[in-house]
Amino acid sequence: MLSYLCRATSSMKTHCFNQKFFHSSFPLAPVQLPSHQETHFWYILPNEVKNASLLNQYLELLSPHEKENVFRMRGEELKKGALLARALVRTTIARYQVNPQVSVTSLKFRKNIHGKPEVEWPHNDDGHQPLLHFNLSHTSSLIACGVTMNSPIGIDVEEKQRTIKNNILSFARRYFTHHEVELLAAISDPEVQRQEFIKLWTLKEAYVKALGRGFSGAPFKTFTLRYKAAAKGSFHLSGNSNSEASEITVDSFENASDFTSKWQFAIFELAGSHYAAICRGIPAEAEGSVPMKLTVWKTIPFVEDKRVSGTDAVVRIGGLFD
Amino acid sequence: MASFSATSSLSFFSVRANNPQVSGRNSCLKVVSMVSARNSFTSLRTARFHVSCSARPETVEQVCEVVRKQLVLPAERPLLPNTKFSELGADSLDTVEIVMGLEEKFDIEVAEESAENITTVQEAADLIEKLILKKGA
Repeated sequence: MLSYLCRATSSMKTHCFNQKFFHSSFPLAPVQLPSHQETHFWYILPNEVKNASLLNQYLELLSPHEKENVFRMRGEELKKGALLARALVRTTIARYQVNPQVSVTSLKFRKNIHGKPEVEWPHNDDGHQPLLHFNLSHTSSLIACGVTMNSPIGIDVEEKQRTIKNNILSFARRYFTHHEVELLAAISDPEVQRQEFIKLWTLKEAYVKALGRGFSGAPFKTFTLRYKAAAKGSFHLSGNSNSEASEITVDSFENASDFTSKWQFAIFELAGSHYAAICRGIPAEAEGSVPMKLTVWKTIPFVEDKRVSGTDAVVRIGGLFD
Repeated sequence: MASFSATSSLSFFSVRANNPQVSGRNSCLKVVSMVSARNSFTSLRTARFHVSCSARPETVEQVCEVVRKQLVLPAERPLLPNTKFSELGADSLDTVEIVMGLEEKFDIEVAEESAENITTVQEAADLIEKLILKKGA
């Protein structure tokens, strides 16, 4: 197979030989903005993206700064992962066509005062910023982007098979709350314990990311996540669920939130290989216990999109969601 | 030194060497120990790298061991004191595990606010020595 080198920082576009033979012109399918109750979740599997000219097509979407960051990664797979993460977030947001002035390549990002990445939209006459929120998470084998309207969102994905190098209970005692340690200590099977540890980690991480204040802004020891049996009869869940309806709640020992005091959680098994957790903030005055409407797409931008919610690629573990 | 072979199907990236590559070394760059020995130097910060006298080479080596083990780095992958963990593929769980591994190895406790500031081997080594000093005081 022909190989070639494309300069990342040159402003001149180097058209690589292979692009004449494969350049996907499948456009990004536009998607309607999520409603206030909805969460959209897009993911890509790096192992399915091998074509060098497709990867170069993605590379051309990135800003010079993003390209620099991609090239800083040590190792080819890490570079590819970093590239796909940026390509995923740009193409995902571009699908919603929030602003006709903004294209997939002209999208700008910045960090908020707490360091959380957000979109920097061009200024409108009325000064209103669109309310699209996103959050990215990645493992070496799966990269995901969650999108909501008007709610802070945090997501975390972890490989189900991930091994923990430290002793799990020592780790939990050091970083988790007493209640959470007890939950884990009560599990005698080490494999089940490891799985429950990872699920708890992803939920806690999703919450911290939704808060947007960084790891030290909401230390893991300052909030407890609990599974509660959900109230019966207050809603209907779709049929694709093996687990009992359970609600996941957070008790914070500090006054964590500025403007929202309710946090919705969802955790599910994704693509048979990962745990995925979502946390979104809802206004305090919103009705209690309304399930999150979740739509999940598997994507290879410019090649294919497949809606997989409602299939066995998405298996509920906990939280109220449809 | 080219990082990618010409026949690799993934070699669509240009070759960039932000930091000098050290071939075949299992441990951290020895230049750190040379600089650390000069006690008369004040700490210099440049845009590219941070030269510090505070962490001894043995500390840096031990930190490298913990990081290598956590991130399962291939033996031939050089680990420079100023490479960011994130550049090596570490996520937040890896970083927390590294901090915990360091706490156990050095018998110290790292406050969670400080843990976020540990992004490289050098930063970890510097903080560890600071904490050990504080403990001894």
